[in-house]
Amino acid sequence: MKFNKVWLMLVLSLSFVLVLAACGGGDGDTGTDDESANDDNGEETVSGPQSGGTITAGMYSAPGHQFNPLFYSDAYEANILSFTHEQLVQLDQDLQWAPSLAESWEINEDYTEITFTLNDGITWQDGEPFTADDVVFTYETIMDEDYVAAGGVRTSYVVKLDTVEALDPQTVKFTYTESNVNAIFDASFYIVPKHIFGDVPLAEMPDHSASRRAGEVIGTGPYQLTDMLENEQYVLTAYEGYWQGTPYLDGITWRVIEQSVMPGLLESGEIDMIAEPNGVPAADFERVDALDNITTFVTQDFGYQYMGFKLHHRTADDVENGVIDPDNWIENEKLSDVRVRQAIVYAINREGIVNGLLFGMGDVLNAHFPAASWAFDEDAPEKYEYSPETAEALLDDAGYVDQNGDGFREDPDGNEWVLNLDYPTGNQVRERSAPIIVENLEAVGIKVDLRNPREAGPHFDMLEKDNTDWDLYLAGWSLSAADPDPSGIFLSTDAYNYTRWNDPHSDELIKKGVQAPEAFDQDYRREVYAEWAHYVSEQVPQVFLYSNTSNYAYNAKLQNVKEYPSTIYTDSHLWYLEQ
Amino acid sequence: MHKYITRRILQFIPMLFVITIIVFGLAKAAPGDPLTGERLDPRIDPAVYEERREALGLNDPIHIQYWNWLSSVATGDFGTSLQYTGRPVLELITARIWNTLYLSLFALGVTLAIAIPIGIYSATKKYSLFDYGATTFAFLGLATPNFFAGLLAIYVFSFLFGWFPAQGTSTTIGLTGFELFIDKLRHLVLPGFTLGLASTAAYMRYMRTEILEVKGSDFIRTAHAKGLSSQSVLYKHTLRNALIPIITLLGLEFGTLLSGAVITERVFNYPGLGTLFIGAISNRDYPVIMAINLILGVSILVGNLLADIFYAIVDPRIRYD
Repeated sequence: MKFNKVWLMLVLSLSFVLVLAACGGGDGDTGTDDESANDDNGEETVSGPQSGGTITAGMYSAPGHQFNPLFYSDAYEANILSFTHEQLVQLDQDLQWAPSLAESWEINEDYTEITFTLNDGITWQDGEPFTADDVVFTYETIMDEDYVAAGGVRTSYVVKLDTVEALDPQTVKFTYTESNVNAIFDASFYIVPKHIFGDVPLAEMPDHSASRRAGEVIGTGPYQLTDMLENEQYVLTAYEGYWQGTPYLDGITWRVIEQSVMPGLLESGEIDMIAEPNGVPAADFERVDALDNITTFVTQDFGYQYMGFKLHHRTADDVENGVIDPDNWIENEKLSDVRVRQAIVYAINREGIVNGLLFGMGDVLNAHFPAASWAFDEDAPEKYEYSPETAEALLDDAGYVDQNGDGFREDPDGNEWVLNLDYPTGNQVRERSAPIIVENLEAVGIKVDLRNPREAGPHFDMLEKDNTDWDLYLAGWSLSAADPDPSGIFLSTDAYNYTRWNDPHSDELIKKGVQAPEAFDQDYRREVYAEWAHYVSEQVPQVFLYSNTSNYAYNAKLQNVKEYPSTIYTDSHLWYLEQ
Repeated sequence: MHKYITRRILQFIPMLFVITIIVFGLAKAAPGDPLTGERLDPRIDPAVYEERREALGLNDPIHIQYWNWLSSVATGDFGTSLQYTGRPVLELITARIWNTLYLSLFALGVTLAIAIPIGIYSATKKYSLFDYGATTFAFLGLATPNFFAGLLAIYVFSFLFGWFPAQGTSTTIGLTGFELFIDKLRHLVLPGFTLGLASTAAYMRYMRTEILEVKGSDFIRTAHAKGLSSQSVLYKHTLRNALIPIITLLGLEFGTLLSGAVITERVFNYPGLGTLFIGAISNRDYPVIMAINLILGVSILVGNLLADIFYAIVDPRIRYD
C-alpha cells in the first residue's frame, strides 16, 4: 500500500512539472497574438517610423545599481545611463562633437573659455525644466573637495576647470585655468538635476534614492528607468515629454543573461539586441550573423591589448612614497637595447593571434591610435610584419647569441638571459595569447619564464608598484573615443606609464600635440601624432598586439539605429520597430 | 536537552568570533584591494584612487580595520559595499537570499524525491537490472559538470521544446499572487533539477546501503519470524531505522542551503548568494565577504546543532544531558 503511495507521489510530481510546462507554451502563444494584434491596428503598409512596441536588450552582467552619473563605476551602469541621461555635446559619426543638450557653443581665442547655448524646452523626466543651473551644479559637485571621498572618480573633467557659471538660464560658461584644447570634451559629462540633488549633502548622494531606485532616477534622456528586478531586468520606459519628441518605442527592457546562451536567445527572439559593452563574442559571431532575424554591426574597439616592456623600475622608496620621478629610476638592462625590443615585435605572430584567437574579428595594431580615430595614420608607424628571420638577425646584431649551445641566447656578456612574462586572468583571449607569445619568442631563441597568471587586481597592483623582476607583461587599455591625446599613459611622469619609458623626445611630442594655440587646428595635431606614432614604433616601449572589434547584433525589424564608431545608442528616440 | 541546546548556542559566540578573525585575515592577506582592479581607464588619475582608499580606511592597520568592522556589526550595521558604490551590504544580501533559499530547497526536494524511492527500490531488488540502471544514472548525474548539464537542459527544455524559461527568476515585473508563484516555480524547474539531480547519487547510495545494513540485523529477522508481511517489515522496521543517518545528513545539508551554487546560478542567471559571494571575493569587497561569511557561519553551526537534535529525536537511544 504505502509503496504505491511513493510511486503515486512521483507520478504526481511529474505531471505537475508537465502542467507547468504547458503553462509555458501558453505564454509564448499570447506573445504572438499580441504582435499580430498590433499588425491589425497599424495603418496599412506605412513606410517610415511607426510608434509602439518594446525591445529587449541583453547584457552579460548586472549593473552595480548606481544610476547617478557622478558616481557610477561599471560599463553596465553606463549602458543604462546612455538612455536616461544626456550631455551638452555628443560624438557624431566622424567622432566630431555635435550638439545635444547644447544647441551651439563658442570658444574664445585662447581656448580658456567656452560658452554653451542650451536648447529650448528641455525638461527633466519629472517635468521640471532643464537650465544652465543644472550644468553648473553638476560641475561644481565634481569640483567639490569632498567629491572623491564620497565615491566619485571623474575628476579628470575638471582638472583645468576654474569656474562654471550660468550667464542666463540658457547660457553656461566654462572658464579654464589655462588653454584647453579639450575644452569641449571636458564639458561633455552627463548632467544631473539640481532640483533633486541640490540639497543633498555630497557624502549622502551615492546612497540617495534618486541615485539608486528605479522610478526615482531622473535624467533628460529619451527613456526613464521606471522599474527593475534586481540583477535580472531593468525597464526603461519612453519619456513622453522628451525634448526631441516622444520616442517611437514604448520602452527598452534590459535583461541580464548568461553569455553562452545568448545566440539561442537571439534566435528565439527572447532578446532583440546585444550591444555595448561586450557585444557578441568573436567565437559566436558567425552563428549570430547567419540568423535571418538579426542585423549585425561590427566596429573597431577603441581600446587595445599590448605587451609592455618594463624599461625601468622605480626604487622601493619611491614606490613607498608614491613618487614618480624618472631621474631616480633604475634601468632594466635586459631590455635596454632597442634592437632587442624590435626583434621581439618581429618575432610575435600577431596576425596569427588575431586569426586564431579572435577568429579574425580584430586588427593588428602598430600605434596607440585605433583605425577609427582621426589621429590614425596607417603609414606613420613601422609595420613590423611577422618575421622570425628579421628578429634573429636583429638579435645576432645586438650580440645576443647562443654561446653555450642550450638553444637559447645569452646576453652580450655571456650571462643567462631570461625574460619574465606576467599576465592577468579575466580576459580569455589575452590569457590564451600568453603561451603563444612565449612559443614565438622561444622560436627565435629568447628564453621566457611564463609565470602563473594572477587576478587582474593584484596584477595591476604589482605592475604599478614596479616589481623589480618584471620584464614583460600583458595588459590592455580601454580608451575614450573622444580625444586621442596619449598623455596620461605615455608621458614619462604619468602614473599609468607602466613601462616607465623615459624619453624626452616622446614627452615633447605629446605636449606639442595639445600645445595652444597650434593645437586648436586638428590637422596640426594629426601631424604631430603621426610623428609621435612613428617615433614610438621605432623605440618600441611596448608591443602593440591587437584591438578587437565590437560586434553588435539587433533585431532586423529595429530601424534607424545609428551605427557610429563611438556607440550605437545615439538618438535612440528615433529607433522604431518595423511592423 | 534545553541545557544542552543553550550550551551549544553559547559556544557559537567564540566560534563565530574566531571564524571572522580568520576570514578577515585571509581576505586582507590576498593581494590587491577593491580599487586595484579598476585601472583600465587612463582618464582617471591614480591619485583619485589613493584618496578614495584613504577615505575608505583601507590604509589603516589591519587590527584597526577589523575592530571598526566588528564594532559596527555589533550595532547591526554591516556597512556599505565597496564594489557597489553606496549600497548597504544588507540590501545586497536580502535581494538574493530568498532566491538562494528557494533554489536550494527546490533542489533538495528534487534530490530527496528521486533518491529515496530509488534507493529503497534498489535495496529491495539488489543486483537487479533496475539497481544497476539506477546506479549508472546516479553516477552519470554525479559525473556531469553542472554547467554542462545546465546548458543541455536549457537547450533541450527551453530552446528545443520551449517548456521552461532559460534565464532569471521571473518573466516580467509586476506579477502577483498565484501567477507570480507559478512564474517563479517555472523558473525554478531547470536550475532546480540541474542542481538536484547532481546530488541524487550520494543520497541514493546512502539510502540503499543503510537499508541493506538494517535488513541484515537481528530485529529484522525477528520481525520476519513473527510472521509480519514483508511490506510491513520494510516500512515499519527497516525504513525507519535506515532513515536515521539520512536525517543527520539533512541537518548538515540545512547548513549549506544558503551557500548558493555558483555555477548553476551563473548558467541560468539565477541571482543568488553564490555569485554575489564569488564576485565579492574577486573584487575584494570586504564588507560583503564578511557579511556572507557570517551568515554561512551561523547557518552551518545551526545546521550542525539541528542534526544533533534530530538525531536525539529519531533515535531514542541517544540522550544529551
